[in-house]
Amino acid sequence: MATASLSRIFSVVLMGVGGLLWLAAILFMAQTAQNSEQFSRLHPWILGINVAGIAVLVVLLFTKLAQLVRDWRAHVIGSRLKARMVWIFGVLATLPILLVYFFAVQFLNKGIDSWFNVEIRKSLDDALVLSRSALETRMREHMGDTQLVADEIMMSGGPTPGLLESLRRQVGAVELVVATEAGAVIAVSKGLSADVVPDEVPGEVLLQLRQGRPFVSLEPQSGGGYLVRTAVPVGEPLPGSDRLVLQAVYPVAERLGALADTVQAAYKQFGEKDYLRAPLKASFILTLTVVLLLSLLAAWYGAIFTAQKLVQPIQDLVKGTRAVAQGDLDMRLPLTSHDEMGFLVHSFNDMTKRLRRARADQARAQQAAETERANLAVILARLSTGVVSLEPDLRVRTANRAAGAILGEEVEGSVGCNLGEIGSSEGLLRQFAQSCRTRLAAGDVEWRDQLTFQAGSNRHVIMCTCTPLPSEGESPGGYVLVFDDITSMLQAQRQAAWGEVARRLAHEIKNPLTPIRLSAERMRHKLLPALNEKDAQLLDRGTETIVQQVEAMKEMVDAFSEYARAPRFEMASVNVNKLVTEVTDLYRAQVAGRGVHLGVTLDPALAEMVADQGRLRQLLHNLLTNAVEALEGRDGGEILVTTRVVTREGAEIAQIAVEDDGPGFQREQIGQVFDPYVTTKTRGTGLGLAIVRKIVEEHGGYVEADNRAGGGARVRVDLPLDETTRGQVVRGAARRPEPRRERA
Amino acid sequence: MSNSNLVSCRRVPPLLRCGVIWLLCFLATAALSPVFAQSKAVVRSASLALDASQELYELNAKVEIALPEAARKGIEAGLTLRIVYEIELARVRGYWPDATVAQLEQVYTLSYHALSQRFLLRNLNTGEQLDFGTLQAALEHVGDVRGLPVIDADLVRPDTRYEVYLRAVIDLSTTPAALQWLLFWTDDWSTTSEWFIWPLRP
Repeated sequence: MATASLSRIFSVVLMGVGGLLWLAAILFMAQTAQNSEQFSRLHPWILGINVAGIAVLVVLLFTKLAQLVRDWRAHVIGSRLKARMVWIFGVLATLPILLVYFFAVQFLNKGIDSWFNVEIRKSLDDALVLSRSALETRMREHMGDTQLVADEIMMSGGPTPGLLESLRRQVGAVELVVATEAGAVIAVSKGLSADVVPDEVPGEVLLQLRQGRPFVSLEPQSGGGYLVRTAVPVGEPLPGSDRLVLQAVYPVAERLGALADTVQAAYKQFGEKDYLRAPLKASFILTLTVVLLLSLLAAWYGAIFTAQKLVQPIQDLVKGTRAVAQGDLDMRLPLTSHDEMGFLVHSFNDMTKRLRRARADQARAQQAAETERANLAVILARLSTGVVSLEPDLRVRTANRAAGAILGEEVEGSVGCNLGEIGSSEGLLRQFAQSCRTRLAAGDVEWRDQLTFQAGSNRHVIMCTCTPLPSEGESPGGYVLVFDDITSMLQAQRQAAWGEVARRLAHEIKNPLTPIRLSAERMRHKLLPALNEKDAQLLDRGTETIVQQVEAMKEMVDAFSEYARAPRFEMASVNVNKLVTEVTDLYRAQVAGRGVHLGVTLDPALAEMVADQGRLRQLLHNLLTNAVEALEGRDGGEILVTTRVVTREGAEIAQIAVEDDGPGFQREQIGQVFDPYVTTKTRGTGLGLAIVRKIVEEHGGYVEADNRAGGGARVRVDLPLDETTRGQVVRGAARRPEPRRERA
Repeated sequence: MSNSNLVSCRRVPPLLRCGVIWLLCFLATAALSPVFAQSKAVVRSASLALDASQELYELNAKVEIALPEAARKGIEAGLTLRIVYEIELARVRGYWPDATVAQLEQVYTLSYHALSQRFLLRNLNTGEQLDFGTLQAALEHVGDVRGLPVIDADLVRPDTRYEVYLRAVIDLSTTPAALQWLLFWTDDWSTTSEWFIWPLRP
């Protein structure tokens, strides 16, 4: 992040410096365009500034290109499109610039070359030659004049001042000098305009004369104009002395000198320019190249900048799309323009806004649905009624805990399984599921029925309602099964009915029995002495029979009365083990004669419990009577009474079990053994186990009866230890599947 | 893949690569430098002495000026060579920097007069102009400095240490500035001699 900021600041600073340099170069050029001298003075600065600008642009360009390459290699979104745009823009800008550059260089080369074409050079050469020829003619004439003067001097015998002056005037020279070959001046004659001419003869002149050649030269003057200097020897050299030389200086006509100066100046200027032609061309081409480079670099930088500006919204859009795809709907893209791309960005932002709102609405709806679902789940979990919902293809969708409690197996674990495949073999759940599946497969989708199943030794009656779930199509969106185990309810109804029967029997039958017995005994008492022996015997047997049957009926009615009477509890602390020992001792002697072994196993932990001792004693009597009667008609056998403390639902309860190894309960009656008048024995009222169940229920416990695996019957009674655990046991019994299934 | 290929595929470190490039540039410059022979100016001898009237100190010096062929052709083509003698008389002040007593520039221009086929040597200080048949004669003349007045004898303190500095500068001052800047890269005749320094004890 910091690196990116620094890079951005660096780029901005460079761009600022580059822009300032560019402006400065343009300013310099604008100021110097009208003034070539100023241009010459500032040209290096202009060039330097432009080169600095190039350097800045190069740095900027390479920074951008390096970034572009890095993005390309890293597969950054939009980098390829940006590279393609940069390439296209760059090429489109480069081609015309190169074309202009090429033609400008060509024009420059040809233009500068045309300034120095062959004709001009030749004309100047010709003019120079012509001027030189004209002057050389004069020089030759002056040379001849000088030779004449030298001959006159020699013939006159020496250079006298008068002779020299005369001869000077004669030939029109400005100066005549006679000197020795060593340079010693012997005689001089000067005109008025010859002040500037030195008196001595230049060494160069003397050197040439010594070589035997006459000297003639054209000498340009610093103030303008020309002089012709000539020198010749005077006569032959004399023995022992130097030979004399004559130097004559002649003026060149002013008109001719001016023309010659013009030709010389033009020739010199052209030569100078011609010599500098190559550097001049190089200078112009260098300037053009600098401008070209500046333009190219600026064009490429502009291409990158423009491509970046064009691609940036696309990159933002792609980033935004990815963010939305990942669920981030808070992404808002910056609106950088108001063109079509800006419209797209605006649409994207609008779309994310709508999506965000829709998601919020959906979340609220989902939250409400979840709340409803949680509420429903709580309700279903707390329901004692089983609820199972099914998919249209009869797979289990949901099930509450009560369903498992009713059907004896957990149904929640079977979610997703087909209805025909759940439950263990022969289990209540499997039978229930198969029954429902059969109905649903037959097209019976809405029904209410009472279903009876036999699971093991228990018979279950389940009231079930099936309702199709609504759906958008014609076929149902699933089914819901609502069911409850009404076995206990039916038993309670039966028990209530039997209680009513018993109460009526006790009331309607017991009342006439006493008058019947009293009447029979009175008849016997009154009539027996008055009858003969035969009639007396008949009366005696008849009344005896009546009394016995009345007694039997009274016992039966008492039993009914006992079954139907309202409980009158005398709850007190009872030592169960002691009570069991007392009761079993009563039977031990009775069964010992038949070889039956009566075993007692007592749990020392079971000390005291709160119960009605009399009713509890009645319960033990009934159970032991049942066991003893079950072993009648056979020798030997075993009766086992067991007490122990067990923990159920976090509460300790007392468990009393009475087992025998008799024939056991008949399988088809095992669910009804606690109903009145259900018995397999020839003796008894059939109310023993019914009374047992009544006592257990009065104490808030539960009882179950089944057959032992090794043969024989077993009745197990669970009783709460006190009032506190009684509530827990009762509540736990309502939740637990086992007691409910086995409750008699 | 052979070892040599492995070596050739190995990436050269940037620092080493830069070093190699700089070395190649240096070698190329060193190799090409003899091709561009430059002008040469050397002060062979110089002295400062009183003139006959004992009123002026005059400079006498021998300066050797050698021009390469390109410079000679440039002069013949019309360019003007500028020759400057920079003379400085400084009083030696021990631990302090020397004090400049007199400073003088003697400027000559040397050009070719195509019409007369003579080389013109012009003293810009005096306006005097001399012409020579050959360039060498002109160079020898300008290199033979005789009796150039430098300073009045009254301005020179007796029993004081002085040092005289002399050097020659040769350049092309008459060309346009734009081309001068460009000629900086290709100029093979502009040069400056080393300072010739000698003591003066009045």
